[in-house]
Amino acid sequence: MNDIIFSLLQVFGFVALIAVSVGIIELYLWSHFRYHDKNSIFFTSVFSFTFLALLFMNIGGLLSIKNFVIFMFWEIFLIYTSKKLIKGKNYLPYLLAAPAFLGLLALLLYPFLFQIYLSFHDLKLTTIMQWKQLGTIPFVGLKQYISVFTVPPLAEAGFFKLLFRTLLWTFVNIFFHVLGGFILALLLSELKIFRGIYRTLLVVPWAMPQVVAVLALRGEFHSQYGFINVMIKKAIESFPWLASIGVGPVNWLSDYPLLTCILINVWLGIPFMTVIILGGLQSISKSYYDAASIDGATYFQKLKYITLPLIKPVLMPAVTLGTVWTFNNINVIYLVTGQSGGTEQADILVSALYKAAFTYNRYSYSAAFAMVIFLILFMISISYSKMFEEKNTDKGAA
Amino acid sequence: MASVTFKKIVKKYNDNLILDGVDLEIRDHEFVVIVGPSGCGKTTMLRLLAGLEEITSGDIEIDGLKVNDLPPAKREIAMVFQDYALYPHMTVKENMSFALKLRHFPKDEIEKRVKESASILQLEKLLNRMPKQLSGGQRQRVAIGRAIVRKPKVFLFDEPLSNLDAKLREEMRVEIARLYQKLNSTIVYVTHDQVEAMTLAGRVVVMNKGHIQQSGTPLDVYRKPQNVFVAGFIGSPTMNFLRGKIEKQEDFFYFSNQSVKIFLPLFSFPEVEKYSGKDVILGIRPDDIILDDKKIDHAHKISGNVEVIELLGHRENIYIKVGDQKILAVGEAFSNFSPGSLVEFSFNYKNIHIFDATTEKRINS
Ligand SMILES: Nc1ncnc2c1ncn2[C@@H]1O[C@H](COP(=O)(O)OP(=O)(O)OP(=O)(O)O)[C@@H](O)[C@H]1O
Ligand SMILES: [Mg+2]
Repeated sequence: MNDIIFSLLQVFGFVALIAVSVGIIELYLWSHFRYHDKNSIFFTSVFSFTFLALLFMNIGGLLSIKNFVIFMFWEIFLIYTSKKLIKGKNYLPYLLAAPAFLGLLALLLYPFLFQIYLSFHDLKLTTIMQWKQLGTIPFVGLKQYISVFTVPPLAEAGFFKLLFRTLLWTFVNIFFHVLGGFILALLLSELKIFRGIYRTLLVVPWAMPQVVAVLALRGEFHSQYGFINVMIKKAIESFPWLASIGVGPVNWLSDYPLLTCILINVWLGIPFMTVIILGGLQSISKSYYDAASIDGATYFQKLKYITLPLIKPVLMPAVTLGTVWTFNNINVIYLVTGQSGGTEQADILVSALYKAAFTYNRYSYSAAFAMVIFLILFMISISYSKMFEEKNTDKGAA
Repeated sequence: MASVTFKKIVKKYNDNLILDGVDLEIRDHEFVVIVGPSGCGKTTMLRLLAGLEEITSGDIEIDGLKVNDLPPAKREIAMVFQDYALYPHMTVKENMSFALKLRHFPKDEIEKRVKESASILQLEKLLNRMPKQLSGGQRQRVAIGRAIVRKPKVFLFDEPLSNLDAKLREEMRVEIARLYQKLNSTIVYVTHDQVEAMTLAGRVVVMNKGHIQQSGTPLDVYRKPQNVFVAGFIGSPTMNFLRGKIEKQEDFFYFSNQSVKIFLPLFSFPEVEKYSGKDVILGIRPDDIILDDKKIDHAHKISGNVEVIELLGHRENIYIKVGDQKILAVGEAFSNFSPGSLVEFSFNYKNIHIFDATTEKRINS
């Protein structure tokens, strides 16, 4: 009983701590935003807040010249940005968004910067103790980046083979996601009854934790007891001629690991596309189809000339997002093949990266590897949005 | 260039009866305007004719051919939608040539026709624009252009001018009239604007609640409305309706209620004898109330009080109260009336409309 109360107290205490910190941050920002146009703000806030900061640093044992200077710079920066940012506007939105923004900074920016730092140094199993004891790791410049392309991250596959596999994986997945999603969305939009129920059912695999969904499906691909092979065996029993044309149980996981992963991921990704495309379809005014009917368009001509161009604005962002997610999708591959003793034949860049970091403990190498993947993805996204924009302005400007 | 026939058309959405046995014959090269209050089934009629909606029962024929089961594409009909429905991702030119492209017309033929219609509608300079870069009136013209490039047998217009401002509406009205002369095809035009109906129509079809109330030339419908609904719907300002009885005094007939007593000369209501003592509704248009002292029928003049005067520029609306009866008259602007003052008037007997009080049908010819 006491244990429970103690745990509850801990939880509440933690929540209270967060609330108080957020409150302090808000108060701190508010004082800047509220009085940004006062002439005295510069002196008062620099003086008072540096004093407070010194106090807190002292309590926290963080007091050092470096931290102090950093804080001074930050303070001046904040005063000027609030002057620029607010300028007669309502500052409440900024105030409300600030905690989330700071949280994002802590959760995204800091790891990213740390990753860049790592990628230019050499942190691995043999240097990690040195880092712990001395706080320094050897600086190696671009060496890690060169290794990314020359030293294979895995036992079996090097960078370019992995890259090719990743591109194949991404393309095939996205292709079938869009195709399947489009077909399902069309069927759903034609459906007069039970549409809501079907839509909910379709979203279930997507809403389920991927771990559960993938592991469940992985079981179905088991060579002896999996649903798929059982069905193939039953089919052969009923139609023996199937065997004569070469149909038989398949060792999915060991012989075709990449194919299995793709099948599973296609199944997982279709619902998302379906929902997006269905939304797009329903936003197209019926009157365009009426006009096209009168103009003499058949069903497929309407699909080609009306539906496709008009859902492009919703489809393109979805495809961009889907590309990034699929390119980066470690869940499926790791869960299907990645456990100890698993094959490396299905590995794509990110799953190889994961193994390099956490199976082979090459942290700096992995950091550089991650940077390279990041840059590739970055370029893919940029070119997608360029493509999309050009198509748009192209017509708009004419 | 085609005739259209509606035969006992019934349309239901689920259990809602929208059209209740509509019969209508439209001759070749006729300009028919369908008017009626909102929700009376005008658009539904056009959509049935275009094939966008299924007929519940009855037949539609185009040029004598039953088209009930023909898809829209095969009916050789073009429609201009109320909201234009221009394809937003195509240029004006692509919008206009879409139908021809689908029908695999040769390129130069498409080019020729688009050019031709563009010049009729003065769209040449806009051919490469997107619909969203056009003004309302320009979109309107593109929508019409998209219809005329196809040279269809029948044009359907669904309140094409309802989204335009008054001035543009006037211009487009003239343009449509001109187009009709040029195109030489059958047009079915839906509107609830009276002026459009009166000026454009060869024949006006007045609808209400899924029934055709009257169909005839604009003048016919205006001068001889067949029932109270048509009388009240056509004409602006709205006709005055007075409820009362026909009374005979000595050898003359009068219409009377508690407030007014109106002389009815025989020529205005030849069958008056038959209705003597019966309840009727008398209709008189505000324009047919004579205020001019020189023209008034002094023997039977009526007097009342002016309540309100609305100046409309060259005319003014004069709201008159006679006992409990309110009557609206239209007079020359800057008359000498002022609110509260006494006014004497008589009716233009030629244009009196008498309706049966129960059936609301016209009873004077
Ligand atoms: N798809 C539909 N399902 C159910 N009812 C409909 C449908 N379309 C129209 N209606 C009903 O049919 C009736 C006639 O509609 P219609 O569009 O023909 O009116 P309208 O005369 O064109 O009116 P407006 O002048 O406002 O355009 C309306 O009561 C409307 O609610
Ligand atoms: Mg309508």
